[in-house]
Amino acid sequence: MATRNRTILYRKYRDALKSVRVPSGSSPSSSGGPVIEMSSTSLLNPNRSYAPLSTEDPGSFSKGALTVGLPPAWVDVSEEIAANVQRVRTKMAELAKAHAKALMPSFGDGKEDQRRIEALTREITDLLKKSEKRLQRLSAGGPSEDSNIRKNVQRSLATDLQSLSTELRKKQSTYLKRLRQQKEGPDGIDLEMNLNGNHTRREDDDFDDMGFTDHQMAKIRKSEAFTAEREREIQQVVESVNELAQIMKDLSVLVIDQGTIVDRIDYNIQNVAASVEEGLKQLQKAERTQKQGGMVMCATVLVIMCLIMLVLLILKEIVF
Amino acid sequence: MVLVSAVRDYVNRMLQDISGMKVLILDSQTVSIVSVVYSQSELLQKEVFLVELVDSISKSKEPMSHLKAVYFLRPTSENIQYMRRQLARPRFGEYHFFSSNMLKDTQLHILADSDEHEVVQQVQEFYADFVANGPFHFSLNISGNHMYMLPAAIDPSGLQHFCDRIVDGIAALFLALKRRPIIRYQRTSDIAKRVAQETAKLMYQQESGLFDFRRTEISPLLLIIDRRDDPVTPLLNQWTYQAMVHELIGIQDNKVDLRTIGKISKDQQEVVLSSEQDTFFKSNMYENFGDIGMNIKRMVDEFQQVAKSNQQIQTIEDMAKFVDNYPEYRKMHGNVSKHVTLVTEMSKIVEERKLMLVSQTEQELACNGGQGAAFEAVTNLLNNESVSDIDRLRLVMLYALRYEKESPVQLMQLFNKLASRSPKYKPGLVQFLLKQAGVDKRTGDLYGNRDLLNIARNMARGLKGVENVYTQHQPLLYQTMESIIKGRLRDVDYPFIGNHFQQGRPQDVIIFIVGGTTYEESRSVALQNATNSGIRFILGGSALLNSKRFLKNLEEAQRIARTSTSVV
Repeated sequence: MATRNRTILYRKYRDALKSVRVPSGSSPSSSGGPVIEMSSTSLLNPNRSYAPLSTEDPGSFSKGALTVGLPPAWVDVSEEIAANVQRVRTKMAELAKAHAKALMPSFGDGKEDQRRIEALTREITDLLKKSEKRLQRLSAGGPSEDSNIRKNVQRSLATDLQSLSTELRKKQSTYLKRLRQQKEGPDGIDLEMNLNGNHTRREDDDFDDMGFTDHQMAKIRKSEAFTAEREREIQQVVESVNELAQIMKDLSVLVIDQGTIVDRIDYNIQNVAASVEEGLKQLQKAERTQKQGGMVMCATVLVIMCLIMLVLLILKEIVF
Repeated sequence: MVLVSAVRDYVNRMLQDISGMKVLILDSQTVSIVSVVYSQSELLQKEVFLVELVDSISKSKEPMSHLKAVYFLRPTSENIQYMRRQLARPRFGEYHFFSSNMLKDTQLHILADSDEHEVVQQVQEFYADFVANGPFHFSLNISGNHMYMLPAAIDPSGLQHFCDRIVDGIAALFLALKRRPIIRYQRTSDIAKRVAQETAKLMYQQESGLFDFRRTEISPLLLIIDRRDDPVTPLLNQWTYQAMVHELIGIQDNKVDLRTIGKISKDQQEVVLSSEQDTFFKSNMYENFGDIGMNIKRMVDEFQQVAKSNQQIQTIEDMAKFVDNYPEYRKMHGNVSKHVTLVTEMSKIVEERKLMLVSQTEQELACNGGQGAAFEAVTNLLNNESVSDIDRLRLVMLYALRYEKESPVQLMQLFNKLASRSPKYKPGLVQFLLKQAGVDKRTGDLYGNRDLLNIARNMARGLKGVENVYTQHQPLLYQTMESIIKGRLRDVDYPFIGNHFQQGRPQDVIIFIVGGTTYEESRSVALQNATNSGIRFILGGSALLNSKRFLKNLEEAQRIARTSTSVV
């Protein structure tokens, strides 16, 4: 893949042409900038001390173009969201590690691993939700180049957020699946048999003994605790599914479907041109209707009436 | 993937070294070049948040110095003027200029002169000056494509402009592939000869340093031929998916615009047909209409299964799975609707224009013999009320190209009947075609009746019968490719430029058709490449033709030729 860099040659030409341009002593309103000012003052008044650049018209456009101006305020919002996305990514890596650690067989209770996982998951979901809310604020009304940029920034961040939420959910579901496999491995079979055992024995007991033995009570309590825990886990899954589903629903409006016409650059350029024209027409129409608007007429009439009443009041005071 | 990946690499390199928010500014040609290989979402990933055309961006005045501007333009004098104006009043923080072809020194001077604020950070030449329609197929999208049919005396500057664009496009292709070819051209075509000579001059004399790549392998072959050597292929109706869509509806830069066809639902009015992004299309683009119907039905059945399972959400796990798979489901839904819409619309058109009937006769005219039967068939179809004007014109043209010399009386009868039946027919168009592409002007053996070997082959094929009447035509390009593979491309017909000589068989062959290519030919090339014969073919043209465009070129050329002769 061949390319050719013409920058060096270009810079040579540019410098050569600049030195040709400088001693021309052109008019101060040219966009030559500071270089011309300095040289022209020094050429014209050799005795004068170095004139500061502020002699040039402060409102000149060229000055503004030389300095990199401050970006508009929404850039801060987008940078904040981008920073959040980065933070989510690092936390997801931590979460993956915590998942792996919790799945490993250990002697301890594993409770603090669980807590850490819960904390991390909650943090990540919070970050995602916060970012998504801020994202909504990025959209602006009115067709203009700036609004197109904002829309595109929004789209790009939305894609990132959506992919992160899907990743989080996949991680969660695999973790829970493996956790369930693990838990059911040692306990599940026994539990099954016990439950069945309890069932048959209950039938027997109906005829023989109406109470349960201590051993059976312990078993029932254990199975109850286990079902309660399962319920809690399922609740958690439901909650996180709901939250993430909400995020995904909001985001899917913004994200581009790949491979469709909306994903084509030339389609977006045409649309921009068309919508900018449309927008201009709408604005003109709105301006026209506003000018002719009945509201303006009413307001003017009311103001005039107020003034007349005021005058009448003053006259009444003067006469009396 | 060769051509597509070459252009993608260029675009990637343009964007990767520049950090921060960017605006990409293109002109009307480079928009097509970039759009067929790069998607909007990929641009967003590279932090390009605005894409504009160079002429519209001149109109706006608000400064956006937090953005860096990346210009990717063709080095035309118009674009340089736009750049001048924009550099005089810079709106963006930094300017990076990429030219899609070689910049002249004078153009560099002009740019350097206007860059008083020194905002331009780099000026580079990235040679992506062709539209990569497919992995082995490119086009230059030249708008005045009819120029190749006119003699040089009529519009010398226009013709020079046309040739320059072709030479630039071919040069860019070889720079992108980093090769310098041996050039052969079709002897009987003046314009092919001219293009070949100018390309050779550029590559071997003017910019020989730029093209001097390491010659470790055998040089590739560049073969420049003329569209008029095979006027039959663009006139025929097509029955393989991609070619058929282009013939009946029209594909522009891999986009299909269905708005003119009929009442289509809003999200299917414009669709993308790209083999890179659409796996169904990739596996079906060269299949014939009957097989496509079956494959689409299968796809719809699969989709309905998935849709049904999505509706039965009972457990929480089902819900989770649904939310997980929703993006894919949506994509599948869009894809299925797209193909179903396309095939439905095409079936409607086939029904309306009685294309099954017409195309059968067309294929007979193109492939088999029998002048008497052909005359009868064409006459019947001309009398048939439901056949449209354009189809009648095509039939007469195909007949004329085949039986030009046999029975001129009957040919005259057909001309008269055509003129009387088709009110919009511009008289003399068929004769104009014969003058351009008649049997005396052609080099290749279009009907297989010049070469003994070809005659024998045709007889054998006739005896064996053909499996699908509608797809029996093979473009002349197929024979050309076979001759190249066997090393039997005759020097007499396709001479070398200068003192080049080909030792052994080339491994890469680039065939450029001045006047345009068709999707039938690109299909032929793709199928040939898939046979792994040791030679890789790439096909390119000045435009992408279907019968409508080819006829429009003919009409335009005829009109100009007429006005110029009347002036003279």
